[in-house]
Amino acid sequence: MAFSVGIILLAIGLVAVVVRRDLVVKLLALGLVNAGSILALVAVGDRPDARVPICGICQDVLYADPLPHALVLSAIVINFAILALALVFVMRLVEHYHSTDSHHIEELVQRDLDEGGHQ
Amino acid sequence: MILALLPLSRFVLGVLCYAHKRASRGLAALGWCIGVILSVFLLVATRDGSILTLGLGGWPAQLGIGLRFDAVAAAFAPLLLLLELAVLLYARKGERDPLFYALLQFLLGAVFALLLAVDLFNEYAILELLTLVSFLLVGYERRATQVWASLKYLILASIGMSLFLAGVALVYRHTGTLNLSLIADIVRARPNAPWIPLAATLLTVGVAVKAGVLGLSQWLPAAHSAAPTEVSALLSGLVIKMGIVVLLRISQVFPLGLLLQVLGTMTALIGVLYAAYARNLKRMLAFHTLSQIGYLVLGLSVGTPDALAGVLDYAIAHGLFKGLLFLAAGEATRAAGGGRFTELATNRRSIPNATIAALLLGTLAIVGLPPLAGFGAKAALLDSHPSRFVFAVFYLTTIGTAFSFAKLLPLFRWHRGTARSDRIGAYATLALPILFFIPLTVTALPSLDLAAEFEPLLVLESLAAIAIGTLLHRVLRRRTPRLPVRLFFLEEAVLAILIAFLVAAALIHIH
Repeated sequence: MAFSVGIILLAIGLVAVVVRRDLVVKLLALGLVNAGSILALVAVGDRPDARVPICGICQDVLYADPLPHALVLSAIVINFAILALALVFVMRLVEHYHSTDSHHIEELVQRDLDEGGHQ
Repeated sequence: MILALLPLSRFVLGVLCYAHKRASRGLAALGWCIGVILSVFLLVATRDGSILTLGLGGWPAQLGIGLRFDAVAAAFAPLLLLLELAVLLYARKGERDPLFYALLQFLLGAVFALLLAVDLFNEYAILELLTLVSFLLVGYERRATQVWASLKYLILASIGMSLFLAGVALVYRHTGTLNLSLIADIVRARPNAPWIPLAATLLTVGVAVKAGVLGLSQWLPAAHSAAPTEVSALLSGLVIKMGIVVLLRISQVFPLGLLLQVLGTMTALIGVLYAAYARNLKRMLAFHTLSQIGYLVLGLSVGTPDALAGVLDYAIAHGLFKGLLFLAAGEATRAAGGGRFTELATNRRSIPNATIAALLLGTLAIVGLPPLAGFGAKAALLDSHPSRFVFAVFYLTTIGTAFSFAKLLPLFRWHRGTARSDRIGAYATLALPILFFIPLTVTALPSLDLAAEFEPLLVLESLAAIAIGTLLHRVLRRRTPRLPVRLFFLEEAVLAILIAFLVAAALIHIH
């Protein structure tokens, strides 16, 4: 169940990245994509009728698989770092082009490239 | 123990480079020396074809993090150290700040870690680390065009990696392990399990975004051509190959033959088409990286040990000559005051002769002139391909490569009294292995047949392809309309990933 919800969130996020042109909204949608895949990974540890895997010596107790939960921590940190850095770069673009519209920025960048001739 | 030191030493040095700003150049050189010593030790230890493994923390393979030094790592270690040396020699004193050297150390540490990784989640985490570091390196000079190129790169790579992570979750759910060789055993035992197509699609499409497969990698030409020179060389020579390494590991677990053949053909042909129309040197080189990734993916689609050896061979050769071309192109662009072919040709006088010589050698190697690196590797790759179709793709791409590099012909003449290039050391580092590539590979891989590489028919065919390409350029040079397709918009790129995902799922299903 939670696994499917994760995949659905991922799909919604992807659609939003395509449809919305505002870069800040795009990054929010990117966060949704990442959250979707993370939720899918968390859901993998689940077993029916399982308890929390904190039980000293777990004999004869059915507990949830703790490995995906350990993995998820790294994935969350990575995605946090990516979003934070992306926002810094968006700030830099806004300073320079005074816009967060991705089409508008693309056109301005192409114009810069054609004029500058450096690249 | 040494296995763990290989990546770990780089991360420690990276922090030190940033903390001790004055010593950063020296620390980077120290990192290179440590890398050489450790790699030589590992290469000697695995000379007889053995594989070194290390399980961190004493956990069993099913649960723990393992490191493994195998043939793939052994092939890439020399390339990595050569490219690093060239980049260190290229960056002149005072030109790059400590942040650059620190990021460089992190990049190389991540590359080593990826070569040694044996489980899917580790590969995910390290690919993300590579994305972050190359993102910072592309935008490192903080020009707005670079910032935009690297932001697009980050967004697309992050989407790809999210798909990859969902694939990892699916695999773990059905196999209970992340270790690639254990997963391969499980898939081999039950090849028709219903979860396999979806998991294989998610993993392949996710990593194809990073590997530069066309349709998924619109970030590549912008990022590779906008980045600072040394970074372009490293990205095209090394980082993009890491996607191919992961793709190689996945293709050994899941049956991907048909999908990789379609993706590889598209990438090779469309990449070279865009390269033929490019009017700017660095951009043309970036598109050629795309088309040569197509070769590698085609090689992976065969999946036999011979084909994999051919893929490794070509990946190394491409790393060498593309690194050389990007470094020389960077200096030529700066000297001429602009990277367009017209600007380069009019300002030929201000470009040092040594730079032009490096460009010429790189060009000859990339079009596959015997006996340079490009030819030897292409022969090894073709040798493993029985099908005429793949041969036709290779032939067309070679003609296209010769066609687009013919645009450089006006540059290739001797000029007296040009400025002296002070980057000859960097060029020589990469030029020597290109010149002696075939003898080197024959020593390293005795299984490759030297006589087969110099089959007269193959030599004639490759010469003919180069001649046809160059002649076509002379005939058609007055007519170069703009290609109508906007390859670079972010939205279209994400849409392409979605479409590719559906197509890939269908293809794997058929397979």
